[in-house]
Amino acid sequence: MKRAKSFNPALPIFSFIVLLMSATPAITGVDFETQTQQGTNPHQPTVMPPITSLVFSHDGKAVVACSQAGLHVYDFPTLKLQRMIAVAARNVHALAFSPDGDQLAVGGGNPATEGTIEIFSWPEGKSLRVLKRHRDSVTAVAWRHAASLASASLDRDILLWDLSTGTPTQRLQGHSRGVSSLCFLNDTATLVSTGVDQNVRVWNLTSGELIRSLNNHTLPVNDLALRPDASGLPMVISAGDDRTVRFWQPTIGRMVKFARLKAAPLNVAWLDNGARIVAACADGAIRFVEPDSVEVTGEVQVLSGWAYSLAVHPTDGSIVVGGPNAQVRRIITD
Amino acid sequence: MKTIQLTLVALTLLTASILWGPVHENTSAANPATSDGSISKASDPIDFENDLVPIFTKFGCNAGACHGAAAGRGEFNLSLFGGNPQADYKAIVRQFAGRRINLMHPEESLIILKPTAQIDHGGGYVLDEAGEGVHLIRTWILQGARYETLRHLAHVEVSPKKQVIANLEHSIQLRATAHFSDGTTEDVTRWTVFTPEDTSAVGINTVTAVARVHRPGRHIILARYLTEVVPIEFIVPLNEVLPQKTEPETKRKALIPKSTSLNHPKDLKIDGEILKLLSTLRLPVSAAADDATFLRRVTLDLTGRVPMPDAAIAFLADSDPNKRATLVDTLLQSDEFNAYWTLQLAKLLRIHSEGGNTQGAFVYHQWLSEQIRAGVGYDQIARSVILATGDSHEIGPANFYRTVDGAGEQAEFMSELFMGTRLRCANCHNHPLDKWTQDDYHGLAAIFAKIESGQIVKIKPSGEVIHPATREKAVPRIPGDRFLSNDVADGRVELVDWLTGSDNPYFATAIVNRLWKAMMGRGLVEPVDDFRATNPATHPELLTALADDFVAHGYDLRWTLRRIALSAAYARSADTIPENATDDRFYSHALQKPLAPEVLADAISDVLGVPDVYGDEPEGTRAISLFDPNTESEALDILGRCAREASCETSAEITGGLQRKLHLFNGELLNARIGVPDSRLDTLVSEGKSPMEIVNEFYLAALSRHPTDTEQEFWKQHINTTASANSQKAVLEDVVWSLLTCNEFVVTQ
Repeated sequence: MKRAKSFNPALPIFSFIVLLMSATPAITGVDFETQTQQGTNPHQPTVMPPITSLVFSHDGKAVVACSQAGLHVYDFPTLKLQRMIAVAARNVHALAFSPDGDQLAVGGGNPATEGTIEIFSWPEGKSLRVLKRHRDSVTAVAWRHAASLASASLDRDILLWDLSTGTPTQRLQGHSRGVSSLCFLNDTATLVSTGVDQNVRVWNLTSGELIRSLNNHTLPVNDLALRPDASGLPMVISAGDDRTVRFWQPTIGRMVKFARLKAAPLNVAWLDNGARIVAACADGAIRFVEPDSVEVTGEVQVLSGWAYSLAVHPTDGSIVVGGPNAQVRRIITD
Repeated sequence: MKTIQLTLVALTLLTASILWGPVHENTSAANPATSDGSISKASDPIDFENDLVPIFTKFGCNAGACHGAAAGRGEFNLSLFGGNPQADYKAIVRQFAGRRINLMHPEESLIILKPTAQIDHGGGYVLDEAGEGVHLIRTWILQGARYETLRHLAHVEVSPKKQVIANLEHSIQLRATAHFSDGTTEDVTRWTVFTPEDTSAVGINTVTAVARVHRPGRHIILARYLTEVVPIEFIVPLNEVLPQKTEPETKRKALIPKSTSLNHPKDLKIDGEILKLLSTLRLPVSAAADDATFLRRVTLDLTGRVPMPDAAIAFLADSDPNKRATLVDTLLQSDEFNAYWTLQLAKLLRIHSEGGNTQGAFVYHQWLSEQIRAGVGYDQIARSVILATGDSHEIGPANFYRTVDGAGEQAEFMSELFMGTRLRCANCHNHPLDKWTQDDYHGLAAIFAKIESGQIVKIKPSGEVIHPATREKAVPRIPGDRFLSNDVADGRVELVDWLTGSDNPYFATAIVNRLWKAMMGRGLVEPVDDFRATNPATHPELLTALADDFVAHGYDLRWTLRRIALSAAYARSADTIPENATDDRFYSHALQKPLAPEVLADAISDVLGVPDVYGDEPEGTRAISLFDPNTESEALDILGRCAREASCETSAEITGGLQRKLHLFNGELLNARIGVPDSRLDTLVSEGKSPMEIVNEFYLAALSRHPTDTEQEFWKQHINTTASANSQKAVLEDVVWSLLTCNEFVVTQ
């Protein structure tokens, strides 16, 4: 895997070559329909819904975004809209490719009614199956292996699914409010989850037991990400409405450090094989944090409004950020 | 206490909801949808703050019992009564990835599906799918669900503001007009929530805003639109006609305006305002109190003591027409006044020995006593405590900063004490019934955060508080007035200059209202620490006049107490007549005031002639003189002492309730002391006084009057003059017990 080029904290942010590649309206897909059809199609909204999740295909040639409009598939790096894929759910919140990249799980649902995980073949984009056992929207999905995934829901539950049968094998109950994010540790037997109840919870999937609850956040937590570097104890970062990103060692229940940001981080990801993190924030900026010093080493204003989602390219380190009105922007920190 | 008060607000709102049924939208309300039912995106832009937030308020979505609760409801949190529209917008449009609105299919938005009960909703059916509220929400989503704020609310005007209603059958159309920052006005009656304080007294149709009053009296209705809450006052006379002077005086003890004792002065402003409202209410006044009642009342109110028999005899025998004024002046200059009003202010300042800090409490109390004795103005007392620094074991007022823990609590304490307002609600959200914002609360706390409150009270430049809304350092702020510089080392100077300025709207008003309550039994504003526009004074002009007069006379406590004591309203009898028997706030008769525990303990000791013992204090120490409210005392435990760790202004805390009565009736507090050697009873018996002379002496000591003919006759029947001395003494002990447990003794009549 090609390492992303590192971000030099000694330089002011303006010295980066920061390419905000929304391209032109005609090719980015950001305003692709509202530009041309506004006023002629009464069903076309004046403002497109926000991009709630982003994910790169394994080959890095496509980036998939989701919104209430469905799945948007963009060419990368041009961000030209290739196609739209309809989804079963009215709201979609989560995207995750399977470990071998041939399936895409889409989490969403009809709010306060049911949550769904729809499995698509990739790159065909054909709907293979819709999993329905949640009672409210699915907010996160994570693949355990090719035939199993976990889903988190605002119904407060986490389900482990056997995709060969399409049925849940475990229901993890412990969150007192909606669950917003989850990730597997590399052993795939340990799951970390978080949510509106401000807790980061660690689950033993072998026994199905809640191992511990880590409660340092003071407001709801929006996202989790596992550090890719496998050396040492596993480390997970969490992003909370209390404007902090917190660094955890979930297997021993320790909060190692935290950094406070200027705005609430909504989505986080590791960069440079775990050398730093990037957080998409509620003020439309992304911020880079160095894990050892927990210093904010860079800040780029990307969007107007919330930066709901981000994804890091699997090889070149580019970042794409999704926001209101179907905005998707590419940032190159080089 | 906080919980109780917050719960009361919530209960009031809940009660309104229960009594009037769930508020839901009337389909017949004007619907601006086009004739074919379609909604045009080209409609006028929907203003989220001014068009949508009132819908959430009107239908109770953002009430404390629903999503306006601190923790929200169903993981959906709106600001209480729309106090923070930007937070509401975030919750609706952005939280959980914007799932509450559906820009592709607006009608499937959660914000519509839930209140219209198309899917399960804990709050039930609130909005009609075809109603104006849903139309506005749907149009707003179609327009892109933007945060449009085209104008800001300047103020709301209600009509009528105040109305005297002659006939209970009469209905009143309420109206509300919003005035906006751009100079425009709009009739917002349909989006205004009209809530009667007493829902059993006033009914309001939630759709038409027509009010109907169900019973006589003074009734307050709160009109809420956006962040503005405006009171409306209805007055319905309590009697159909005023009592006429032609009626025999023997049947009717008092008539308007003949309300005063021949030998009692009047206060033109006080009595003018009181009688004006009484006249409006067609409420007749009771007769003036007799001299004995007045003597006991004013002596207790100004000195915390019952008059002793010699003083009572002398006053009752005095024929000087100015004797009441002379008595008041004498009492105001007495040591007893100093001791009692030191206690009164010590309760306000909550002087107590926190964590064994008895030395601090002692010097604080001593300092306060010196201020009272020297007649220091109340503004100077406030300045001294707010600006205090130094060793709290030596400098009394420095203990002001050791009374409560934390800058936020200090802000709450200061606002309740010196402003008569409950800023505490603004800790978690903008005050739902007042103008106080979180900026006010945490800004004031930021001023106090720079004070280190150990034994040595000193400036702490690094002190700060975090504003919970911004998660940033709160900017120091004079509440309701202005922000201070972040660099200010000690914001207390600006704070106290503002607080004690002659034009400050809170400071003088708050204290004169407390003085009024101490004398009259009820504040012109009740509770006395809850001043707000939505809790108007019963007599606003009188309150203003008293405050202005207080300022004009150097914030002199004695001056204002004297004015009140020499008013005809103060001198009125507590005996009611049928037409004013239900009056508990308009001063048509005097209100009975339960004696404070310290006063009652001293009164019992004085009447019995047996001093009580308080901790390690010297024998003869009076309860009202104790600097530490936690001083060991069984009597005060029984009578219901206030530990002063919180406000002492709740009557249940200071009066002791049922416990006091049971112990008075049955306990050792009286029974073990009535006839002990050297007691008043023992002395009188030893001196050879006749039983009826002793009865008379105890009536004078306890009630400041002679027994009536009926009472004399009663006791004569029970005291067998031929019985043994011991038997007679036993009966006399019963006399004393009866006097000390009767209502007339334990209250100020």
